[in-house]
Amino acid sequence: MTEITEALPGPFGALRSQLLDAAAAFAGAGEGAGGADPVSGILAGMVDDVDRALREELEIFPVCHHSPASALAMARRLREKRPAVIYLELCEDLRPLLDELRNCRLPVALQAFATELEDFPAEWSPLSVVAPVTEASAEYQAIAYALDTPGVELVLVDRSTDHVFQWEPRTPPEPEPAADGGEGAALHGDAVGIEIGDLRPRFAELEAHLLHHGKVRHWSEWWDQYVEQPLVGADHDTYRQVMVLIGSLFRRLRPERDARNDRDEDRERYMWTRMREHLAASGADPARCLYVCGAFHAASRVEQFGLRADAPYEITPRTATRWQYGLIPSSHSAIEAQFGLAPGSVSIAAATWSKALQGSGVTPYRLKGQEGAKPKAVRARRAPDPGGPVADRLSGFLSRPPAPNGLDEDELLGWCVDIVRLARRNGYLASTADAIAVYETSVLLAGLRGRGRPTPYDFQDAAVTCIEKDTVPGRRDVRRLCEILLGGDRVGQVGYESLPPLARDVLDRLEPLGLDLAKRTIQRALLDLDANPELRPCSDLLWVLRRLLPDNAVRPIMGSRRLGERPIQESWDLDLGRHQRSIVELGYEGVTIEQVLEHRLRRTVADPKATAAAALAAVEDAILYLGGGRIADDLGNRAVELLAAERTVDDAPDVLRRIRRLLAYYRTTRADLPKWCERFVTAGYAHYCTLLPTAFLDEDTGVRQVAAMLGFLFSMESLALSLGCDHSQLELAVRQSHPEAPARIALLWAARSQLGLLPVAELRARYDELLANPLVVPSIPLYLSGFVQALEPVPSLAPVVVEVMSKAFARLPDPVLLPWLPKLITTLRDEAAELVPVLVREAGRMLPASLPAVDAWVPPWSARRPAAPASAPVPASARAVADLVAAHPAACDAVAGLLGHDAGWRPAAGGGGDDRVTGLLAAHGDTAHAVAALLGRA
Amino acid sequence: MTDEMLRAPAEVKYAEELDWLESIDDGPKPFSWRLSPRMVRLFILGSERADGLDREIPQKWFGDRSFVERSIVTLASDRGLLLIGDPGTGKSWLAELLSAAICRNSTLVVQGTAGTTEDHIKYSWNVSMVIAKGQSRESMIPSPIMTAMEQGMIGRFEELTRSTSDVQDALISILSEKYVSIPELDDDNIVFAQPGFSIIATANSRDRGVNDLSSALKRRFNFVRIPVVTNKRSEAEIVRFRTAELMRRHRIDLEVPPTLLDILLQSFADLRAAAASATSDDEKLESALSTAEQIGVLEDAVLHSQFFGDRTLRAETLAGSLVGSLARRSPEDLAILNKFWHGVIEPRSKQDDGAPWQAFLEGGRQALETLS
Repeated sequence: MTEITEALPGPFGALRSQLLDAAAAFAGAGEGAGGADPVSGILAGMVDDVDRALREELEIFPVCHHSPASALAMARRLREKRPAVIYLELCEDLRPLLDELRNCRLPVALQAFATELEDFPAEWSPLSVVAPVTEASAEYQAIAYALDTPGVELVLVDRSTDHVFQWEPRTPPEPEPAADGGEGAALHGDAVGIEIGDLRPRFAELEAHLLHHGKVRHWSEWWDQYVEQPLVGADHDTYRQVMVLIGSLFRRLRPERDARNDRDEDRERYMWTRMREHLAASGADPARCLYVCGAFHAASRVEQFGLRADAPYEITPRTATRWQYGLIPSSHSAIEAQFGLAPGSVSIAAATWSKALQGSGVTPYRLKGQEGAKPKAVRARRAPDPGGPVADRLSGFLSRPPAPNGLDEDELLGWCVDIVRLARRNGYLASTADAIAVYETSVLLAGLRGRGRPTPYDFQDAAVTCIEKDTVPGRRDVRRLCEILLGGDRVGQVGYESLPPLARDVLDRLEPLGLDLAKRTIQRALLDLDANPELRPCSDLLWVLRRLLPDNAVRPIMGSRRLGERPIQESWDLDLGRHQRSIVELGYEGVTIEQVLEHRLRRTVADPKATAAAALAAVEDAILYLGGGRIADDLGNRAVELLAAERTVDDAPDVLRRIRRLLAYYRTTRADLPKWCERFVTAGYAHYCTLLPTAFLDEDTGVRQVAAMLGFLFSMESLALSLGCDHSQLELAVRQSHPEAPARIALLWAARSQLGLLPVAELRARYDELLANPLVVPSIPLYLSGFVQALEPVPSLAPVVVEVMSKAFARLPDPVLLPWLPKLITTLRDEAAELVPVLVREAGRMLPASLPAVDAWVPPWSARRPAAPASAPVPASARAVADLVAAHPAACDAVAGLLGHDAGWRPAAGGGGDDRVTGLLAAHGDTAHAVAALLGRA
Repeated sequence: MTDEMLRAPAEVKYAEELDWLESIDDGPKPFSWRLSPRMVRLFILGSERADGLDREIPQKWFGDRSFVERSIVTLASDRGLLLIGDPGTGKSWLAELLSAAICRNSTLVVQGTAGTTEDHIKYSWNVSMVIAKGQSRESMIPSPIMTAMEQGMIGRFEELTRSTSDVQDALISILSEKYVSIPELDDDNIVFAQPGFSIIATANSRDRGVNDLSSALKRRFNFVRIPVVTNKRSEAEIVRFRTAELMRRHRIDLEVPPTLLDILLQSFADLRAAAASATSDDEKLESALSTAEQIGVLEDAVLHSQFFGDRTLRAETLAGSLVGSLARRSPEDLAILNKFWHGVIEPRSKQDDGAPWQAFLEGGRQALETLS
């Protein structure tokens, strides 16, 4: 950085020596010695950089991103020079996308996307790079000129998107704070942004210093005031020299550490190598070429700089990663959020651009066939003579204060009136008086900040001061309203022709709905599937989109899709226009939406962390959205593998719910169960039997999980036994279980009673014992929660559960009962919501329904106790049946023999019975005859 | 004169600086302003080398430049200025500096309270003089606001939202018609505001809803919201600046060690973070944890060390003062501080460079024990 050479007798000699004198004077005025070298090195070096860039045989056109001044200078230069080849600083592999731009409404972003990575760390997936293109940019001018002018070649020379990541350090990328910029700001997702002409000090202190002394808050504002506005009307030479000078300044002032780490110089080597290669191959005349790059790169000092340089640079091959390319819609706010620009700055740039076009008389280039207003044919002024040697325009530029180029009177007045109108519409109590105050304040603020005329930023501050009060009445505050006023957030759109096949396919298939899906509003689609069965495929597609797209893209208002249900009518809110990016990105994954879904489902179950429940969910999705078939079987087979390999039972409730649903579905829709279902049931039976004793003991396993295991075992048992499982396995597992926690003990009792190992009477007796024991009373609620959970595996226990709960309510002391009640309710709601109806129904059956009945009510369990004789009378209502059985004693003897009882048939002694019943049966003989008929006796 | 006052108003304290600025000021001045808007900004935010002044003007108010600019511009326009923000964010100090710089008088202040009446804003009567001589301009006692109108100065209204709505609305006519009529008098019964008159009011955003401003009055004020300073560097700057001033006032010669200042700032930053993540008011300290509160804590600790200690500021004293100042509600605030002390300060004191934190921990524990 300290290369100080003698003043060259070039066009910049005078300026150079003037700067060196200034540096010497500065060093003299400074306190310490030795300060002169770096300062003079920087100052003289900047002039040298400008000299060098301008002398280069290949014309270098320095630009800055989203700069109307650059765009204007570019349009002018292209008309003057009419170059035959344009080299553009943009990833070379994005070139095919540029032709698609004419189908889009700007701003859109060029995107490169990769999900299947080779040679990159897997956790980086998916890789995504976006390069937004706006209308008010130099690169768009160059692109439009090159694509629409016959015989002009456009060559992208920057490193490929693959290299962007090749050059990334292999440390995990730090999560960036989410940008908070409203709906439009998230348009780029989490892609890596690249743009042409990134020009910003890489040296935080320098930026802070410039902002402080420029009396501005944000970098964009500084740039606009000190570079953009003065350069809008500048001639080509001044523009070029000033831009290279600024590029050089930022380059020379960046910290050493950055210079080592960033890949700017590698990119410059890359670009110059590519350009030399192209020139050599095509034989183009360098005088008819134009190299468009960021001003930062124009001041490059790499040894490969210039066409005459011959320093070698080896370009590394790309990795095997397969990149997909596409266009996604972008927006001003997304660009601002991605590149850290001040909110509203891109909109202000767009406004400046259209204003500058009118003022300068330059006709901009525009791709033919592009949607949007046509540029007005402005009378072209006579262009200055481009030829001639390089003259020093810097001295003049640097010594003059910037010409005042703020808002003109009418524009400011118009804005003041508009902002008040806008504020009123957004709930502010603003009036004409406010418009006057905003105007006055803008002028005063501009005066205070040393500006001849207010800038849009002054106007914004003035509007906030005068209109914003203590609260924001609506959704938007005044600052946001100002942004809307200054052009608002413009959102681009990708045209149908430029969409990937998948997105086009989706739009085609949704065409029967008769809606304009490109609109950026929510549209309601009504599908009467009975009346219009041809809409059924649309409905299917919408459900798949619902599964794959973000929440708000397609939203069912009416209708649902569940196993075994057939929709009759559906109504949808469609917002596909605003979610174009999501659809385009789906397009990178496959050709049809079904293919993407299938791929995703397979990926879900193939994940090493997948669970059986997740696999069952995937099966369900495959049936719902893809019609089941082979893919459902594949996923189901994977579910069996996953279940057998699982060592925990955390997902047992989910597994139980899903497999029940699937079994019910298969039983109603086909004659036999799929093979994987059978395997799942048998594997599950064995698996849960094995894990049961541990789960009963393990404190980390919840009661709900154990209950779900038992539920699986009991409810699938008949199926499992028919498929070859052994009941004794379950019985043994239950016998081996020795839980200690009260809730689990209750659950075990329930399980044992279901298996017949514990009669209900004994269960009751045990529970009564507990209630009678004052030492155990505090833990009764835990037992009860176990009983409630037992409703899942043993639904027949419902009366007993009601009984034990009622007893608890009756007998538990208040200090135990009251704290437990809220917990009971929350537990029931969170964990056993589906069991509550069972419980309530049972309770409704057993408990009196009206208040007067409560007094006379005797709980069935206390009434039952005295009347429980060992030899209950034969239920007399079965007289006809008894007759039937008596008429055919052989059948009974045979059954008795099978059961090992060979006492033989004996007619009932006495034959008494209840006379009333006999009378009743005699009076209504039809009933008995009907039963007899049912039993096959005519 | 400064020496005879416990606290000199800004125009007295910085009289010499203001004189000097006035002498070199060649910018356009609105109305009867003593300084041009740029010089007012320079007086408040301090000078830099780039301003090319012969002497350095220290910064007196710390905060975003645009707040000051917007305030100055508002005063140069037709509207009053309402500074709104949490307690202790420097609203009144900014108001004082602005009026001192603009009209060299920051003492025309009405303090808004629940007992403020319309008389305090307009005028009242000297009863004995009325009895002796009848109602005349002589027997009238003009309010500070009326005086400001007559002399073309800046009137200040502190805590506007503390006074009742009808009293607030008395300002409406003053701000729009710019005169006050005195119906009791037959002639000379209108006081017209002279050019340069404006009002700076302050309002506490924590009091919102107590006496909300009417929309008619809101319209006549430009609101400038002053946020709590969260930038550690400027906060350290403010605390240092104000404490030095207070110590000068108390004639205390005591040094605040930078480590203790860091501890104080860090504790406040931690407490603010805790308050921000609290879900209910019970989990939040009652204090707004503003910069002024920090200055209060430090001043308290300094005074304690000066008069009851060994004239050296120690971490224990600082901790005691912090606990004493912030524990306002018992048991809520005490519980929060207890949790904070054990959850945040204790781990810090166990780190490598935790020696001063260790003493701070002990001091806070003792203070908490005493209060519990």
